[in-house]
Amino acid sequence: MTALYVLDVPENTAVAKVAAESGATVGKIGPYFEITADGPIVVDRRATGCRHAVWYSCVAGVAGGRIVQHDKDALRVDPA
Amino acid sequence: MTLEHKVRGVDHTAFPTFDPAATVRFYRDVLGFPVVHSICAAGWGPDDHPDFIHFFFDIGNDDRIAFFYYFGLEPVHTQERGDVHAGFGPEVPEFFVRSRHLAIHVDDQDDLVEYRRRVDDSAWPVEMQIQHETIESIYTHDPNGYMVEFTRAMRPVTPQEDLDANLTIDALLDVVAEPEPSFGKLLARKAELIVERAADWELARQGAEA
Repeated sequence: MTALYVLDVPENTAVAKVAAESGATVGKIGPYFEITADGPIVVDRRATGCRHAVWYSCVAGVAGGRIVQHDKDALRVDPA
Repeated sequence: MTLEHKVRGVDHTAFPTFDPAATVRFYRDVLGFPVVHSICAAGWGPDDHPDFIHFFFDIGNDDRIAFFYYFGLEPVHTQERGDVHAGFGPEVPEFFVRSRHLAIHVDDQDDLVEYRRRVDDSAWPVEMQIQHETIESIYTHDPNGYMVEFTRAMRPVTPQEDLDANLTIDALLDVVAEPEPSFGKLLARKAELIVERAADWELARQGAEA
Protein backbone atom coordinates (compact mmCIF):
# COMPACT_ATOMS: atom_id res chain seq x y z
CA MET A 1 0.00 0.00 0.00
CA THR A 2 1.34 3.39 -1.05
CA ALA A 3 0.30 6.41 1.02
CA LEU A 4 0.75 10.08 0.25
CA TYR A 5 -0.03 12.68 2.91
CA VAL A 6 -1.09 16.22 2.00
CA LEU A 7 -2.01 18.92 4.53
CA ASP A 8 -5.62 20.07 4.27
CA VAL A 9 -5.26 23.78 3.54
CA PRO A 10 -7.27 25.62 0.87
CA GLU A 11 -4.65 25.58 -1.88
CA ASN A 12 -4.00 21.84 -1.46
CA THR A 13 -7.55 20.54 -1.79
CA ALA A 14 -7.26 20.24 -5.57
CA VAL A 15 -4.34 17.83 -5.15
CA ALA A 16 -6.50 15.43 -3.14
CA LYS A 17 -9.43 15.88 -5.52
CA VAL A 18 -7.38 15.08 -8.62
CA ALA A 19 -5.79 12.08 -6.88
CA ALA A 20 -9.27 10.73 -6.12
CA GLU A 21 -10.38 11.25 -9.71
CA SER A 22 -7.31 9.30 -10.80
CA GLY A 23 -8.40 6.27 -8.82
CA ALA A 24 -6.67 6.70 -5.47
CA THR A 25 -8.57 6.45 -2.20
CA VAL A 26 -8.69 9.70 -0.26
CA GLY A 27 -9.33 9.67 3.47
CA LYS A 28 -8.44 11.95 6.35
CA ILE A 29 -6.12 11.54 9.30
CA GLY A 30 -6.32 14.61 11.50
CA PRO A 31 -5.87 17.67 9.28
CA TYR A 32 -4.15 15.66 6.52
CA PHE A 33 -5.51 14.01 3.40
CA GLU A 34 -4.37 10.39 3.35
CA ILE A 35 -4.17 9.35 -0.29
CA THR A 36 -3.68 5.62 -0.72
CA ALA A 37 -3.47 3.10 -3.54
CA ASP A 38 -2.29 -0.47 -4.06
CA GLY A 39 -0.21 0.65 -7.03
CA PRO A 40 1.23 4.00 -8.06
CA ILE A 41 -0.39 7.32 -7.11
CA VAL A 42 -0.33 9.81 -9.98
CA VAL A 43 -1.50 13.43 -9.79
CA ASP A 44 -1.62 15.56 -12.92
CA ARG A 45 -0.30 19.02 -12.07
CA ARG A 46 -2.35 20.91 -14.67
CA ALA A 47 -5.55 19.25 -13.51
CA THR A 48 -4.92 20.58 -10.00
CA GLY A 49 -4.43 24.15 -11.21
CA CYS A 50 -1.55 24.47 -8.73
CA ARG A 51 1.26 26.82 -9.54
CA HIS A 52 4.86 26.03 -8.67
CA ALA A 53 5.07 27.25 -5.05
CA VAL A 54 2.15 25.14 -3.86
CA TRP A 55 2.82 22.27 -6.22
CA TYR A 56 6.40 21.72 -5.09
CA SER A 57 5.56 22.00 -1.38
CA CYS A 58 2.28 20.07 -1.20
CA VAL A 59 3.70 16.71 -0.08
CA ALA A 60 3.72 16.23 3.70
CA GLY A 61 4.73 12.58 3.83
CA VAL A 62 5.14 9.36 1.87
CA ALA A 63 4.73 5.85 3.28
CA GLY A 64 5.19 2.50 1.55
CA GLY A 65 6.64 4.04 -1.57
CA ARG A 66 8.76 6.79 -2.97
CA ILE A 67 8.38 9.79 -5.25
CA VAL A 68 9.66 8.93 -8.72
CA GLN A 69 8.36 12.05 -10.47
CA HIS A 70 7.57 15.52 -9.14
CA ASP A 71 7.89 18.04 -11.94
CA LYS A 72 5.77 20.54 -13.84
CA ASP A 73 3.69 17.72 -15.33
CA ALA A 74 2.92 15.30 -12.53
CA LEU A 75 3.54 13.89 -9.08
CA ARG A 76 4.01 10.13 -9.08
CA VAL A 77 4.57 7.90 -6.07
CA ASP A 78 5.50 4.29 -6.80
CA PRO A 79 5.14 1.45 -4.28
CA ALA A 80 8.34 0.55 -2.46
CA MET B 1 6.84 20.73 29.18
CA THR B 2 6.33 23.82 27.06
CA LEU B 3 8.51 26.79 27.96
CA GLU B 4 6.65 30.03 28.42
CA HIS B 5 7.07 32.19 25.33
CA LYS B 6 7.74 35.70 26.61
CA VAL B 7 9.75 37.48 23.92
CA ARG B 8 8.25 40.42 22.06
CA GLY B 9 9.59 40.37 18.53
CA VAL B 10 12.67 41.99 17.02
CA ASP B 11 14.21 44.74 19.16
CA HIS B 12 16.72 45.41 16.41
CA THR B 13 18.79 43.68 13.78
CA ALA B 14 22.11 45.36 13.02
CA PHE B 15 24.28 45.72 9.92
CA PRO B 16 27.45 47.67 9.07
CA THR B 17 27.43 50.40 6.42
CA PHE B 18 30.13 52.35 4.64
CA ASP B 19 27.59 54.72 3.08
CA PRO B 20 25.43 56.30 5.77
CA ALA B 21 24.14 58.97 3.38
CA ALA B 22 22.65 56.44 0.97
CA THR B 23 21.44 54.29 3.85
CA VAL B 24 19.53 57.19 5.37
CA ARG B 25 18.19 58.16 1.95
CA PHE B 26 16.87 54.66 1.34
CA TYR B 27 15.36 53.88 4.73
CA ARG B 28 14.23 57.33 5.88
CA ASP B 29 13.58 59.30 2.71
CA VAL B 30 12.52 56.60 0.24
CA LEU B 31 10.75 54.13 2.53
CA GLY B 32 9.68 56.64 5.17
CA PHE B 33 11.04 54.66 8.12
CA PRO B 34 11.47 57.09 11.04
CA VAL B 35 14.89 57.48 12.65
CA VAL B 36 14.14 56.47 16.21
CA HIS B 37 17.46 56.14 17.99
CA SER B 38 21.15 56.75 17.51
CA ILE B 39 24.28 56.32 19.54
CA CYS B 40 27.38 58.46 18.99
CA ALA B 41 30.15 56.30 20.41
CA ALA B 42 33.42 58.18 20.92
CA GLY B 43 36.45 55.99 21.59
CA TRP B 44 34.26 53.02 22.38
CA GLY B 45 35.47 50.73 19.60
CA PRO B 46 38.90 49.12 19.18
CA ASP B 47 41.97 51.18 18.29
CA ASP B 48 41.58 51.02 14.51
CA HIS B 49 38.04 52.39 14.52
CA PRO B 50 37.40 53.91 17.93
CA ASP B 51 34.51 56.13 16.89
CA PHE B 52 31.26 54.95 15.42
CA ILE B 53 27.63 55.88 14.96
CA HIS B 54 24.92 53.30 15.61
CA PHE B 55 21.61 54.44 14.15
CA PHE B 56 18.15 52.91 14.06
CA PHE B 57 15.06 53.02 11.85
CA ASP B 58 11.59 51.90 12.90
CA ILE B 59 10.38 49.02 10.70
CA GLY B 60 6.90 48.89 12.23
CA ASN B 61 5.55 47.22 15.32
CA ASP B 62 8.26 49.14 17.27
CA ASP B 63 10.82 46.76 15.75
CA ARG B 64 13.99 48.33 14.36
CA ILE B 65 16.75 47.91 11.80
CA ALA B 66 20.08 49.41 12.88
CA PHE B 67 23.36 50.27 11.22
CA PHE B 68 26.94 50.83 12.34
CA TYR B 69 29.04 53.46 10.61
CA TYR B 70 32.72 53.28 11.65
CA PHE B 71 34.72 56.45 10.99
CA GLY B 72 37.92 55.66 9.12
CA LEU B 73 37.10 52.05 8.30
CA GLU B 74 37.49 51.08 4.65
CA PRO B 75 35.47 48.25 3.05
CA VAL B 76 36.80 44.95 4.36
CA HIS B 77 36.60 42.82 1.23
CA THR B 78 36.96 43.20 -2.53
CA GLN B 79 34.67 40.42 -3.75
CA GLU B 80 32.26 41.44 -6.49
CA ARG B 81 29.40 39.38 -5.11
CA GLY B 82 27.72 39.79 -1.76
CA ASP B 83 27.11 42.89 0.31
CA VAL B 84 29.34 45.36 2.15
CA HIS B 85 29.60 42.98 5.10
CA ALA B 86 30.22 39.66 3.36
CA GLY B 87 31.88 38.91 0.02
CA PHE B 88 31.62 35.68 -1.90
CA GLY B 89 34.02 34.12 -4.39
CA PRO B 90 33.10 32.35 -7.62
CA GLU B 91 32.92 28.99 -5.83
CA VAL B 92 29.80 30.03 -3.92
CA PRO B 93 26.52 29.25 -5.71
CA GLU B 94 24.29 32.20 -6.54
CA PHE B 95 21.26 30.83 -4.68
CA PHE B 96 23.38 30.71 -1.53
CA VAL B 97 24.60 34.29 -1.95
CA ARG B 98 20.98 35.40 -2.34
CA SER B 99 19.54 33.36 0.51
CA ARG B 100 20.04 35.77 3.41
CA HIS B 101 17.53 38.60 3.62
CA LEU B 102 15.28 40.68 5.85
CA ALA B 103 11.54 40.35 5.18
CA ILE B 104 9.29 43.16 6.42
CA HIS B 105 5.60 42.45 6.85
CA VAL B 106 2.79 44.56 5.37
CA ASP B 107 -0.93 44.05 5.96
CA ASP B 108 -2.40 43.98 2.48
CA GLN B 109 -1.97 44.51 -1.24
CA ASP B 110 -2.50 48.28 -1.03
CA ASP B 111 0.43 48.58 1.35
CA LEU B 112 2.62 46.31 -0.77
CA VAL B 113 1.82 48.41 -3.84
CA GLU B 114 2.65 51.57 -1.89
CA TYR B 115 6.11 50.32 -0.89
CA ARG B 116 6.68 49.12 -4.44
CA ARG B 117 5.89 52.64 -5.66
CA ARG B 118 8.31 54.17 -3.17
CA VAL B 119 11.29 51.99 -4.07
CA ASP B 120 10.56 52.11 -7.81
CA ASP B 121 10.85 55.91 -7.61
CA SER B 122 14.32 55.53 -6.09
CA ALA B 123 17.78 54.33 -7.10
CA TRP B 124 16.92 50.93 -5.59
CA PRO B 125 13.86 49.75 -7.57
CA VAL B 126 12.10 46.42 -7.14
CA GLU B 127 14.13 43.62 -8.69
CA MET B 128 11.59 40.85 -8.32
CA GLN B 129 7.92 40.51 -7.44
CA ILE B 130 6.41 37.13 -6.75
CA GLN B 131 2.89 36.06 -5.95
CA HIS B 132 1.61 32.61 -5.33
CA GLU B 133 -1.30 31.09 -3.50
CA THR B 134 -0.07 31.98 -0.01
CA ILE B 135 2.14 35.09 -0.16
CA GLU B 136 3.05 38.06 -2.32
CA SER B 137 6.48 39.68 -2.03
CA ILE B 138 8.72 42.32 -3.56
CA TYR B 139 12.50 42.30 -3.30
CA THR B 140 15.27 44.81 -3.68
CA HIS B 141 18.79 45.38 -2.37
CA ASP B 142 19.48 48.36 -0.12
CA PRO B 143 22.45 50.69 -0.76
CA ASN B 144 24.70 48.30 1.19
CA GLY B 145 23.73 45.26 -0.87
CA TYR B 146 21.51 43.76 1.81
CA MET B 147 18.44 42.07 0.37
CA VAL B 148 15.17 43.49 1.66
CA GLU B 149 11.78 41.90 1.07
CA PHE B 150 8.29 43.25 1.70
CA THR B 151 5.70 40.52 2.04
CA ARG B 152 2.01 40.06 2.67
CA ALA B 153 0.04 36.92 3.45
CA MET B 154 -2.67 35.95 0.95
CA ARG B 155 -4.64 34.23 3.72
CA PRO B 156 -4.30 33.79 7.50
CA VAL B 157 -2.11 30.94 8.71
CA THR B 158 -4.23 27.96 9.79
CA PRO B 159 -3.63 25.99 13.02
CA GLN B 160 -2.83 22.82 11.07
CA GLU B 161 0.12 24.58 9.47
CA ASP B 162 1.68 24.94 12.92
CA LEU B 163 1.22 21.21 13.49
CA ASP B 164 2.71 20.48 10.09
CA ALA B 165 5.72 22.71 10.79
CA ASN B 166 6.37 20.91 14.06
CA LEU B 167 6.12 17.48 12.43
CA THR B 168 8.54 18.66 9.73
CA ILE B 169 11.08 19.82 12.30
CA ASP B 170 10.79 16.66 14.40
CA ALA B 171 11.22 14.54 11.26
CA LEU B 172 14.15 16.68 10.14
CA LEU B 173 15.94 16.26 13.48
CA ASP B 174 15.45 12.50 13.28
CA VAL B 175 16.76 12.37 9.71
CA VAL B 176 19.83 14.57 10.23
CA ALA B 177 20.78 12.47 13.28
CA GLU B 178 21.33 9.54 10.90
CA PRO B 179 23.90 9.19 8.10
CA GLU B 180 23.10 10.60 4.65
CA PRO B 181 19.97 12.65 5.32
CA SER B 182 17.72 13.04 2.27
CA PHE B 183 14.41 14.56 1.32
CA GLY B 184 12.96 11.09 0.73
CA LYS B 185 13.90 10.00 4.24
CA LEU B 186 12.33 13.16 5.65
CA LEU B 187 9.01 12.45 3.92
CA ALA B 188 9.05 8.84 5.11
CA ARG B 189 9.73 9.86 8.73
CA LYS B 190 7.13 12.61 8.54
CA ALA B 191 4.53 10.13 7.28
CA GLU B 192 5.18 8.06 10.42
CA LEU B 193 4.75 11.12 12.64
CA ILE B 194 1.52 12.07 10.85
CA VAL B 195 0.10 8.60 11.53
CA GLU B 196 1.24 8.79 15.16
CA ARG B 197 0.05 12.29 16.02
CA ALA B 198 -2.28 13.95 13.50
CA ALA B 199 -5.54 12.32 14.61
CA ASP B 200 -4.85 13.04 18.29
CA TRP B 201 -3.96 16.64 17.47
CA GLU B 202 -7.33 17.15 15.81
CA LEU B 203 -9.23 15.57 18.69
CA ALA B 204 -7.34 17.73 21.22
CA ARG B 205 -8.10 20.83 19.17
CA GLN B 206 -11.78 19.99 18.88
CA GLY B 207 -11.81 19.39 22.64
CA ALA B 208 -10.20 22.75 23.28
CA GLU B 209 -12.79 24.50 21.10
CA ALA B 210 -15.76 22.73 22.67
